[in-house]
Amino acid sequence: MASLMRRSVAELVGTMLLVYFGPGAAAMLLMIAARESGPLQSLTIGSLGGLADWLAIGLAFAIVITAVIYGLGRVSGAHINPAVTIALLASKRFPATDAVAYIVAQLVGALLGSYLFYLSAGMDAVTIGGLGATAPALGVTFWMAILAETIGTFVLMLIIMGVAVDERAPPGFAGLIIGLTVGGIITTIGGLTGSSLNPARSFGPAVGDLLLGGPDVMGVFPIYIIGPILGALIAVFFYDWVVKED
Amino acid sequence: MKCYICAKEGRDSDAVAICIVCGMGLCMDHAIREENDVWEGGYPFPAHKVKQRLPRILCPECAIAMKGEK
Ligand SMILES: [Zn+2]
Ligand SMILES: [Zn+2]
Repeated sequence: MASLMRRSVAELVGTMLLVYFGPGAAAMLLMIAARESGPLQSLTIGSLGGLADWLAIGLAFAIVITAVIYGLGRVSGAHINPAVTIALLASKRFPATDAVAYIVAQLVGALLGSYLFYLSAGMDAVTIGGLGATAPALGVTFWMAILAETIGTFVLMLIIMGVAVDERAPPGFAGLIIGLTVGGIITTIGGLTGSSLNPARSFGPAVGDLLLGGPDVMGVFPIYIIGPILGALIAVFFYDWVVKED
Repeated sequence: MKCYICAKEGRDSDAVAICIVCGMGLCMDHAIREENDVWEGGYPFPAHKVKQRLPRILCPECAIAMKGEK
Protein backbone atom coordinates (compact mmCIF):
# COMPACT_ATOMS: atom_id res chain seq x y z
CA MET A 1 0.00 0.00 0.00
CA ALA A 2 1.17 3.50 -0.78
CA SER A 3 2.24 5.63 2.21
CA LEU A 4 -0.34 7.88 3.89
CA MET A 5 1.51 10.82 2.34
CA ARG A 6 1.11 9.50 -1.21
CA ARG A 7 -2.47 8.46 -0.59
CA SER A 8 -3.30 11.91 0.77
CA VAL A 9 -1.74 13.49 -2.32
CA ALA A 10 -3.95 11.20 -4.43
CA GLU A 11 -7.03 12.41 -2.51
CA LEU A 12 -5.90 16.01 -2.96
CA VAL A 13 -5.40 15.64 -6.71
CA GLY A 14 -8.63 13.65 -7.13
CA THR A 15 -10.73 16.24 -5.30
CA MET A 16 -8.96 19.04 -7.15
CA LEU A 17 -9.95 17.49 -10.49
CA LEU A 18 -13.50 16.89 -9.27
CA VAL A 19 -13.93 20.56 -8.29
CA TYR A 20 -12.20 21.91 -11.38
CA PHE A 21 -14.43 19.96 -13.79
CA GLY A 22 -17.71 19.57 -11.85
CA PRO A 23 -18.36 22.99 -10.29
CA GLY A 24 -16.32 24.36 -13.20
CA ALA A 25 -19.08 23.14 -15.55
CA ALA A 26 -21.70 24.92 -13.40
CA ALA A 27 -19.70 28.16 -13.50
CA MET A 28 -19.16 27.76 -17.23
CA LEU A 29 -22.89 27.35 -17.79
CA LEU A 30 -23.64 30.62 -15.98
CA MET A 31 -20.90 32.39 -17.96
CA ILE A 32 -22.38 31.16 -21.25
CA ALA A 33 -25.88 32.17 -20.10
CA ALA A 34 -24.58 35.64 -19.26
CA ARG A 35 -23.06 35.94 -22.71
CA GLU A 36 -26.42 35.02 -24.27
CA SER A 37 -28.72 37.18 -22.19
CA GLY A 38 -26.51 39.95 -20.83
CA PRO A 39 -25.04 40.14 -17.36
CA LEU A 40 -27.84 42.29 -15.91
CA GLN A 41 -30.35 39.48 -16.22
CA SER A 42 -30.70 37.41 -13.05
CA LEU A 43 -29.19 34.14 -14.11
CA THR A 44 -29.82 30.67 -12.85
CA ILE A 45 -28.70 27.30 -14.09
CA GLY A 46 -31.60 26.03 -16.17
CA SER A 47 -32.22 29.33 -17.93
CA LEU A 48 -30.47 28.07 -21.07
CA GLY A 49 -31.76 24.53 -21.39
CA GLY A 50 -33.97 23.66 -18.45
CA LEU A 51 -33.24 20.25 -16.97
CA ALA A 52 -30.72 19.68 -19.76
CA ASP A 53 -28.49 22.27 -18.06
CA TRP A 54 -28.37 20.03 -15.03
CA LEU A 55 -27.86 16.93 -17.14
CA ALA A 56 -24.83 18.62 -18.72
CA ILE A 57 -23.40 19.54 -15.33
CA GLY A 58 -24.23 16.06 -14.04
CA LEU A 59 -22.35 14.51 -16.96
CA ALA A 60 -19.29 16.65 -16.27
CA PHE A 61 -19.34 15.34 -12.70
CA ALA A 62 -20.02 11.78 -13.87
CA ILE A 63 -17.07 11.74 -16.22
CA VAL A 64 -14.53 13.27 -13.88
CA ILE A 65 -15.63 11.01 -11.00
CA THR A 66 -15.30 7.96 -13.24
CA ALA A 67 -11.86 9.13 -14.36
CA VAL A 68 -10.64 9.76 -10.82
CA ILE A 69 -11.95 6.43 -9.50
CA TYR A 70 -10.26 4.44 -12.28
CA GLY A 71 -7.16 6.66 -12.15
CA LEU A 72 -6.54 6.80 -8.41
CA GLY A 73 -8.93 4.30 -6.83
CA ARG A 74 -6.21 1.71 -6.28
CA VAL A 75 -3.88 4.23 -4.65
CA SER A 76 -6.01 5.97 -2.01
CA GLY A 77 -9.46 4.53 -2.58
CA ALA A 78 -10.45 7.79 -4.31
CA HIS A 79 -13.03 8.90 -1.75
CA ILE A 80 -12.67 12.54 -2.86
CA ASN A 81 -15.54 13.26 -0.47
CA PRO A 82 -15.36 13.70 3.33
CA ALA A 83 -18.86 12.23 3.69
CA VAL A 84 -17.65 8.96 2.13
CA THR A 85 -14.51 8.90 4.29
CA ILE A 86 -16.56 9.58 7.45
CA ALA A 87 -19.10 6.87 6.60
CA LEU A 88 -16.32 4.29 6.06
CA LEU A 89 -14.71 5.44 9.33
CA ALA A 90 -17.99 5.25 11.28
CA SER A 91 -18.61 1.69 10.04
CA LYS A 92 -15.08 0.70 11.16
CA ARG A 93 -13.87 0.13 7.63
CA PHE A 94 -11.29 2.90 7.63
CA PRO A 95 -8.75 4.02 10.29
CA ALA A 96 -9.22 7.37 12.05
CA THR A 97 -5.70 8.76 11.49
CA ASP A 98 -5.98 8.10 7.76
CA ALA A 99 -9.45 9.66 7.71
CA VAL A 100 -8.20 12.94 9.19
CA ALA A 101 -5.40 13.16 6.62
CA TYR A 102 -7.80 12.30 3.78
CA ILE A 103 -10.34 14.98 4.79
CA VAL A 104 -7.68 17.70 5.08
CA ALA A 105 -6.33 16.66 1.67
CA GLN A 106 -9.83 16.71 0.15
CA LEU A 107 -10.54 20.23 1.44
CA VAL A 108 -7.19 21.60 0.28
CA GLY A 109 -7.62 19.88 -3.09
CA ALA A 110 -11.12 21.33 -3.50
CA LEU A 111 -9.90 24.85 -2.84
CA LEU A 112 -7.03 24.31 -5.25
CA GLY A 113 -9.47 23.06 -7.90
CA SER A 114 -11.56 26.22 -7.58
CA TYR A 115 -8.48 28.40 -7.72
CA LEU A 116 -7.18 26.64 -10.83
CA PHE A 117 -10.57 27.10 -12.49
CA TYR A 118 -10.40 30.83 -11.69
CA LEU A 119 -6.90 30.94 -13.20
CA SER A 120 -8.18 29.15 -16.33
CA ALA A 121 -11.42 31.10 -16.83
CA GLY A 122 -10.72 34.51 -15.34
CA MET A 123 -12.68 36.81 -13.06
CA ASP A 124 -16.03 36.04 -14.78
CA ALA A 125 -15.78 32.55 -13.31
CA VAL A 126 -15.93 34.18 -9.86
CA THR A 127 -18.34 37.12 -10.33
CA ILE A 128 -20.75 35.45 -12.78
CA GLY A 129 -20.04 31.76 -12.26
CA GLY A 130 -19.52 31.94 -8.49
CA LEU A 131 -16.96 29.18 -9.11
CA GLY A 132 -19.89 26.77 -9.24
CA ALA A 133 -20.67 27.21 -5.54
CA THR A 134 -23.74 25.46 -4.12
CA ALA A 135 -26.73 27.33 -2.68
CA PRO A 136 -30.41 26.39 -2.39
CA ALA A 137 -32.70 27.63 -5.16
CA LEU A 138 -35.35 30.27 -4.51
CA GLY A 139 -38.12 28.78 -2.39
CA VAL A 140 -35.97 25.92 -1.08
CA THR A 141 -35.60 26.30 2.70
CA PHE A 142 -32.61 25.29 4.82
CA TRP A 143 -34.35 22.08 5.94
CA MET A 144 -35.67 21.19 2.48
CA ALA A 145 -32.13 21.55 1.19
CA ILE A 146 -30.72 19.34 3.96
CA LEU A 147 -33.34 16.71 3.18
CA ALA A 148 -32.50 16.71 -0.55
CA GLU A 149 -28.73 16.55 0.13
CA THR A 150 -29.29 13.73 2.63
CA ILE A 151 -31.33 11.69 0.16
CA GLY A 152 -28.91 12.37 -2.70
CA THR A 153 -25.86 11.32 -0.68
CA PHE A 154 -27.76 8.31 0.65
CA VAL A 155 -28.09 7.05 -2.92
CA LEU A 156 -24.41 7.79 -3.65
CA MET A 157 -23.17 5.94 -0.57
CA LEU A 158 -25.61 3.07 -1.08
CA ILE A 159 -24.26 2.46 -4.58
CA ILE A 160 -20.66 2.66 -3.27
CA MET A 161 -21.57 -0.06 -0.76
CA GLY A 162 -23.34 -2.23 -3.32
CA VAL A 163 -20.95 -1.92 -6.24
CA ALA A 164 -17.60 -1.64 -4.43
CA VAL A 165 -17.48 -2.28 -0.68
CA ASP A 166 -19.55 -5.49 -0.75
CA GLU A 167 -17.27 -8.45 -1.44
CA ARG A 168 -19.92 -9.91 -3.73
CA ALA A 169 -19.89 -6.83 -5.98
CA PRO A 170 -18.91 -7.48 -9.61
CA PRO A 171 -15.35 -6.17 -10.06
CA GLY A 172 -14.52 -3.33 -12.43
CA PHE A 173 -17.82 -1.47 -12.57
CA ALA A 174 -17.46 0.86 -9.58
CA GLY A 175 -16.04 3.88 -11.39
CA LEU A 176 -18.56 3.84 -14.21
CA ILE A 177 -21.63 3.17 -12.08
CA ILE A 178 -20.75 5.62 -9.31
CA GLY A 179 -20.00 8.39 -11.79
CA LEU A 180 -23.28 7.85 -13.62
CA THR A 181 -25.20 7.70 -10.34
CA VAL A 182 -23.85 11.09 -9.28
CA GLY A 183 -24.74 12.48 -12.72
CA GLY A 184 -28.31 11.23 -12.32
CA ILE A 185 -28.69 12.61 -8.80
CA ILE A 186 -27.45 16.01 -9.97
CA THR A 187 -29.97 16.04 -12.82
CA THR A 188 -32.81 15.70 -10.31
CA ILE A 189 -31.76 17.71 -7.26
CA GLY A 190 -29.36 20.16 -8.91
CA GLY A 191 -32.23 22.60 -9.31
CA LEU A 192 -33.01 22.37 -5.58
CA THR A 193 -29.67 22.57 -3.80
CA GLY A 194 -27.00 22.54 -6.50
CA SER A 195 -26.63 18.85 -5.57
CA SER A 196 -23.34 18.89 -3.72
CA LEU A 197 -23.42 15.46 -2.00
CA ASN A 198 -19.93 16.34 -0.84
CA PRO A 199 -18.74 18.88 1.79
CA ALA A 200 -15.40 19.32 -0.02
CA ARG A 201 -17.12 20.03 -3.35
CA SER A 202 -19.03 22.89 -1.66
CA PHE A 203 -16.04 24.04 0.41
CA GLY A 204 -13.71 24.77 -2.51
CA PRO A 205 -15.98 27.18 -4.43
CA ALA A 206 -17.42 28.76 -1.25
CA VAL A 207 -14.00 29.62 0.16
CA GLY A 208 -12.72 30.51 -3.30
CA ASP A 209 -15.58 33.01 -3.68
CA LEU A 210 -14.80 34.42 -0.24
CA LEU A 211 -11.12 34.95 -1.11
CA LEU A 212 -11.63 36.19 -4.66
CA GLY A 213 -14.69 38.39 -4.12
CA GLY A 214 -17.48 36.19 -5.50
CA PRO A 215 -20.97 35.69 -4.04
CA ASP A 216 -21.09 35.02 -0.29
CA VAL A 217 -22.46 31.50 0.21
CA MET A 218 -20.83 30.71 3.54
CA GLY A 219 -24.18 31.12 5.33
CA VAL A 220 -25.64 28.08 3.56
CA PHE A 221 -22.46 25.98 3.78
CA PRO A 222 -23.75 24.02 6.84
CA ILE A 223 -26.40 22.45 4.55
CA TYR A 224 -23.59 20.81 2.59
CA ILE A 225 -21.87 19.50 5.69
CA ILE A 226 -24.93 18.16 7.51
CA GLY A 227 -26.87 16.70 4.54
CA PRO A 228 -24.08 14.69 2.88
CA ILE A 229 -22.60 13.32 6.11
CA LEU A 230 -26.05 12.34 7.40
CA GLY A 231 -27.00 10.69 4.10
CA ALA A 232 -23.74 8.74 3.87
CA LEU A 233 -24.00 7.54 7.48
CA ILE A 234 -27.59 6.39 7.05
CA ALA A 235 -26.58 4.54 3.86
CA VAL A 236 -23.70 2.51 5.39
CA PHE A 237 -25.67 1.46 8.43
CA PHE A 238 -28.77 0.77 6.34
CA TYR A 239 -26.73 -1.35 3.93
CA ASP A 240 -25.04 -3.32 6.70
CA TRP A 241 -28.45 -3.98 8.24
CA VAL A 242 -30.35 -4.82 5.07
CA VAL A 243 -27.83 -7.36 3.67
CA LYS A 244 -27.60 -9.32 6.91
CA GLU A 245 -28.49 -12.98 6.46
CA ASP A 246 -31.20 -14.20 8.85
CA MET B 1 5.48 -39.25 -14.45
CA LYS B 2 8.41 -38.44 -16.73
CA CYS B 3 9.57 -35.10 -18.14
CA TYR B 4 7.86 -34.58 -21.50
CA ILE B 5 10.65 -32.48 -22.99
CA CYS B 6 13.39 -34.88 -21.96
CA ALA B 7 11.31 -37.78 -23.31
CA LYS B 8 11.06 -36.06 -26.71
CA GLU B 9 14.83 -35.67 -26.72
CA GLY B 10 15.16 -39.38 -26.04
CA ARG B 11 16.16 -39.06 -22.39
CA ASP B 12 14.35 -40.51 -19.45
CA SER B 13 14.06 -38.22 -16.41
CA ASP B 14 11.51 -38.12 -13.63
CA ALA B 15 9.11 -35.19 -13.51
CA VAL B 16 9.22 -33.04 -10.41
CA ALA B 17 6.57 -30.55 -11.51
CA ILE B 18 3.63 -30.01 -13.87
CA CYS B 19 3.05 -26.99 -16.10
CA ILE B 20 -0.06 -25.22 -14.79
CA VAL B 21 -1.12 -24.29 -18.35
CA CYS B 22 -0.60 -27.35 -20.60
CA GLY B 23 -0.09 -29.97 -17.92
CA MET B 24 3.15 -31.46 -19.17
CA GLY B 25 5.42 -33.17 -16.65
CA LEU B 26 8.73 -31.36 -16.16
CA CYS B 27 12.12 -32.26 -14.71
CA MET B 28 14.05 -29.80 -12.54
CA ASP B 29 15.94 -28.47 -15.60
CA HIS B 30 12.81 -27.79 -17.65
CA ALA B 31 10.46 -26.46 -14.98
CA ILE B 32 10.20 -22.66 -14.80
CA ARG B 33 9.03 -21.48 -11.42
CA GLU B 34 7.97 -17.89 -11.00
CA GLU B 35 6.33 -15.89 -8.23
CA ASN B 36 3.64 -13.34 -8.88
CA ASP B 37 2.44 -10.43 -6.74
CA VAL B 38 -1.07 -10.65 -5.38
CA TRP B 39 -3.06 -7.49 -4.66
CA GLU B 40 -5.91 -7.10 -2.25
CA GLY B 41 -8.45 -4.31 -1.90
CA GLY B 42 -9.07 -1.47 -4.33
CA TYR B 43 -11.75 1.19 -4.61
CA PRO B 44 -12.91 2.53 -2.17
CA PHE B 45 -9.93 1.23 -0.22
CA PRO B 46 -6.27 1.51 -1.12
CA ALA B 47 -4.99 -1.66 -2.77
CA HIS B 48 -2.11 -3.40 -0.99
CA LYS B 49 0.29 -6.14 -1.95
CA VAL B 50 -0.24 -9.41 -0.11
CA LYS B 51 2.98 -10.46 1.71
CA GLN B 52 3.02 -14.00 0.33
CA ARG B 53 3.66 -14.14 -3.41
CA LEU B 54 1.85 -16.69 -5.54
CA PRO B 55 4.18 -19.30 -7.06
CA ARG B 56 3.42 -21.00 -10.38
CA ILE B 57 5.22 -23.46 -12.59
CA LEU B 58 5.34 -23.26 -16.39
CA CYS B 59 7.03 -25.24 -19.13
CA PRO B 60 9.41 -23.29 -21.43
CA GLU B 61 6.83 -23.20 -24.27
CA CYS B 62 3.99 -21.83 -22.14
CA ALA B 63 6.33 -19.35 -20.47
CA ILE B 64 7.20 -17.92 -23.90
CA ALA B 65 3.56 -17.97 -25.08
CA MET B 66 2.41 -16.10 -22.00
CA LYS B 67 5.18 -13.56 -21.66
CA GLY B 68 6.74 -13.15 -25.09
CA GLU B 69 10.20 -14.10 -26.38
CA LYS B 70 12.23 -11.86 -24.08
ZN1 LIG C 1 3.13 -25.73 -20.58
ZN1 LIG D 1 13.34 -32.38 -18.65
